[in-house]
Amino acid sequence: RSLQLEERKPSQQIAQRRVRKRRRLRKVRRRVRKSREEEERKQHVQRRRLSSSSDDNSEDESMSEGEMARLKEEVEEKKKLIATLRNKPWRMKRRLKCLKEAQAFVEKFEGALGKGKGRRLYAFKVMMTKKIIKFNRDFENFKTACIPWESRIKEVESHFGSSVASYFIFLRWMYGLNLVLFGFVFGLVVIPEVLMGMPYGSLARKTVPREEQDSAMDFSVLFEFGGYCKYSIMFYGYYNNQRSIGLLQFRLPLSYLLVGVGIFGYSLMVVIRTMARNANEGGDGAEEGTFTFCWKLFTSWDYLIGNPETADNKFASTTTSFKESIVDEQENLKDENIHLRRFLRILANLLILCCLGGSGYLIYYVVKRSQGFAKKDRNELTWLQKNEVEIVMSLLGLVCPPLFEVIAELEDYHPRIALKWQLARIFALFLGNLYTFLFALFDEVNSKLENEKEIKNATIWALKEYYTNYTLYNNVTENIPPPNISPADVIRGPCWETEVGIEFVKLTVSDIQVTYLTILIGDFLRAVIVRFLNYCWCWDLEAGFPSYAEFDISGNVLGLIFNQGMIWMGAFYAPGLVGINVLRLLSSMYYQCWAVMACNVPHERVFKASRSNNFYMGLLLLVLFLSLMPVIYSIMTLPPSFDCGPFSGKDKMYDVIMETIEKDLPPFMADIFSYASNPGLIIPAVLLMVLAIYYLNAVSKAYQNANLDLKRKMQMQRDEEKNRRNNKDSTNQVMKDLEDLMPNKSLIPPPSAEETEIPADQLRKSPKVTGKPGAAATGKGVHVQKDVSLAAANPRAPVTRPPGPRPPGPLPGNARGPPPGQGMGRGRGGPPPRR
Amino acid sequence: MGSTNSTLLKIPNVEVLMQETGFSPAHIIRLHDRFKALDKEGRGHLCPHDFGAIKELAMNPIGDRIIGAFFSPGKETVDFHTFVKILAHFRPVDKDRPKEPNSPEPINSRSNKLKFAFQLYDQDKDGKISRDELLQVLRAMLGMQVTDEQLESIADRTIQEADLDRDDTISFEEFRKACKHKRFTMFRFCIRPGERKLMLTLCHWSSELQDQHEL
Repeated sequence: RSLQLEERKPSQQIAQRRVRKRRRLRKVRRRVRKSREEEERKQHVQRRRLSSSSDDNSEDESMSEGEMARLKEEVEEKKKLIATLRNKPWRMKRRLKCLKEAQAFVEKFEGALGKGKGRRLYAFKVMMTKKIIKFNRDFENFKTACIPWESRIKEVESHFGSSVASYFIFLRWMYGLNLVLFGFVFGLVVIPEVLMGMPYGSLARKTVPREEQDSAMDFSVLFEFGGYCKYSIMFYGYYNNQRSIGLLQFRLPLSYLLVGVGIFGYSLMVVIRTMARNANEGGDGAEEGTFTFCWKLFTSWDYLIGNPETADNKFASTTTSFKESIVDEQENLKDENIHLRRFLRILANLLILCCLGGSGYLIYYVVKRSQGFAKKDRNELTWLQKNEVEIVMSLLGLVCPPLFEVIAELEDYHPRIALKWQLARIFALFLGNLYTFLFALFDEVNSKLENEKEIKNATIWALKEYYTNYTLYNNVTENIPPPNISPADVIRGPCWETEVGIEFVKLTVSDIQVTYLTILIGDFLRAVIVRFLNYCWCWDLEAGFPSYAEFDISGNVLGLIFNQGMIWMGAFYAPGLVGINVLRLLSSMYYQCWAVMACNVPHERVFKASRSNNFYMGLLLLVLFLSLMPVIYSIMTLPPSFDCGPFSGKDKMYDVIMETIEKDLPPFMADIFSYASNPGLIIPAVLLMVLAIYYLNAVSKAYQNANLDLKRKMQMQRDEEKNRRNNKDSTNQVMKDLEDLMPNKSLIPPPSAEETEIPADQLRKSPKVTGKPGAAATGKGVHVQKDVSLAAANPRAPVTRPPGPRPPGPLPGNARGPPPGQGMGRGRGGPPPRR
Repeated sequence: MGSTNSTLLKIPNVEVLMQETGFSPAHIIRLHDRFKALDKEGRGHLCPHDFGAIKELAMNPIGDRIIGAFFSPGKETVDFHTFVKILAHFRPVDKDRPKEPNSPEPINSRSNKLKFAFQLYDQDKDGKISRDELLQVLRAMLGMQVTDEQLESIADRTIQEADLDRDDTISFEEFRKACKHKRFTMFRFCIRPGERKLMLTLCHWSSELQDQHEL
């Protein structure tokens, strides 16, 4: 009966505000009257229905008779209330609220009371709600079932913790991204060329040259992506520079360029959007930190599990999540020599900087040396000299990560933070790798460009020669037929784009091989050896030296990220690379899942990582930028090959766009573009963007601060409540009792006072204690003493830090807290300052 | 309708039972069917080992405690009335039904459900979950995977989180406070019409299940 509130007649206030309120009141009253009329009309209709049809026994009998009667009564009452609401001496606001509530109630339950059609309608409604609930449930299940590999990842997560699972989630995300890229490239470039472009063998660029034809089908050649592979749609060189192809007049060169740039645009957009979404997700749940263990303990079991395998998984995941929480806890509780820790951290960073600097210099030196070697004849060089760069790079990649890990031990970070540092450091190391690769590639491209110039001149020369000869022999100066050479015999340039594409594809494929072999040997073989040789070995292999491998999160994540960088860079020169990558990610999902479950053991310190890891995304973004630059540079500055690829015959690749603007778009669009590309417009636009970024950044900072403040306030409130309870329960009650006992309020407790107040305290403190017979008998005095002293030790100032666990020794208050006596009593006399 | 009535008539004091538990006649009949199915030997009462047939309970680390909750101390059997009354804890909370001001709190109210869960953990029935009781539960849940030291630290930490009056135990009040913020979908009780199956689905707070197994 929420409605039976006390009748307050605020006549005084009404009198004061009457003049001001009159107009408003009138308006509201009109509204009330209207709704009342409506209600009456409804009731009338209801009554009519009742008279017309009353026999409607539904099978859905979900309420008992008593309840029905009760409900009926209730509804009647509400109706009466609606009718008489006008006479109630309440404020308008309250009246409106009551009216709304009552109306909603009547509407809801009238149908349930078996009044003619309303009854049927109600039954129908109930049925529909049930159906909708069921449908929603099924739909949710369906949606979950549609997420690929969710159960696999869950399984890994339950055994290895969220940190390993975060890698697989990242892998899955990457697969999704690559699938979209694959769709772009194949839908807009490869398939149009296959369907509508000229067939194989029709052009020089689409034909294997005569001298290579014998070996073009050899496996060793194909494996190096030479032969038929090189002159296939996988690579840049195969595409024709015909402006439009097929019936649809598909502008293939334009599409090629736009897809090449669009891949970057789309990836940037997706990465940044994901990052933003992840950043948003982290905000909720301010209470999260306070009851972690309670919730885990009391609520982690899923009571619906009926399958032994699922139960095993659940056991594992509960254990893992507890372990994660323990690691977090330990980190919070760690109190050690902060100066030593800082010193060690600085030292570790210095050491690692030295390592990085040293390896950087080493790479630089080796690359310089190899440039020197490259000028010499290749036959003079030894194998070591030829492969020096690769050897140094792989040695660095082999030695440095474990070294970093060892040095990171000094820092003693929480494993989650340690993983980030490790990732960042190996990332810096891998950048060196990337740098050498690009350096070598650009050297090659430059030499190819020079070579190409010569060949181009030679071709032009040959063509001129042919024409002069033709004129000489046939005495015809016009309508000379083009030279009748088979496309296989045409003189052709080196086509540097295809070469670059081949380099990237080779690198990707060898990366796949190395990764898979490492897993096979380093994880699987090791696990097999450890498992089966353990029966006949002199020491315990499983617990001792080789043991099973742990899953290398940082290495795998970085491998994935750098691989993606290769794809981004290479996709422009080798459209087929995206397809290879999709296959790789797909297979690696299954392969690595299997390898993890079969051969690895969980980390010693399992730690919790968020399911959506923004750190990985940040690294990915960085790599995306790094790989964006060389491609854009080559598009904007390098001249495309003259005889292969969709841009052949143009000075620069982006000329395709110029051409389209000039020929396909109306002239005013060309004007617009020329204005838009004016520096006078671009610079202000950039300026505006910078200002907007600055402003938004400031705003988000302010919000962040506000958020932090609120969080702190909540924590403070909680702590205060804890303290207050504590004080109220023990000291304040004690003191009050004391005051009651002593008429003169001297507050000097006689020695026996403590004995006398104990029962009262016990009684009053909380009813829950009284139900406990054992506790009262044992150590009464001790109990009270403890409470009192604890309360005394409690600082009145708000606590901003969550309390650490209690040390096992004597309670902190006992040692230095004042004895329960006069001084303290005075101090505690007043009520605690409360907001 | 006839069969319904005849089944209902077989059960003594049906009216009182429905009044107390809030089950509808259809529910009671389904429960009765289930009771009979569990009671394989047809004695009219259930023994603890009868509950072992429920797979979900066999999997549950504290399943034996849930079974134990059906049996009042000193009794080896549970009859249909008690069975239904215990299961009434598992009914969803009525949100819309108006409450009688002077009627006793329904069995399926929030606090009663929490009390039921609390009693699962409070084995010695002293109104407090002590550290040892927590440790028992933790051993059942985590088993051999975790060292004793870690188990103890988990128990300590749990108590420390929930404990408001610093008596190193978790009283019911504190238990309620600690679980207040989690979504409370505890004790889903489900008799699916199709399979006529009773499931004990206990205190699961995860949001995925929020509308699952709604009756």
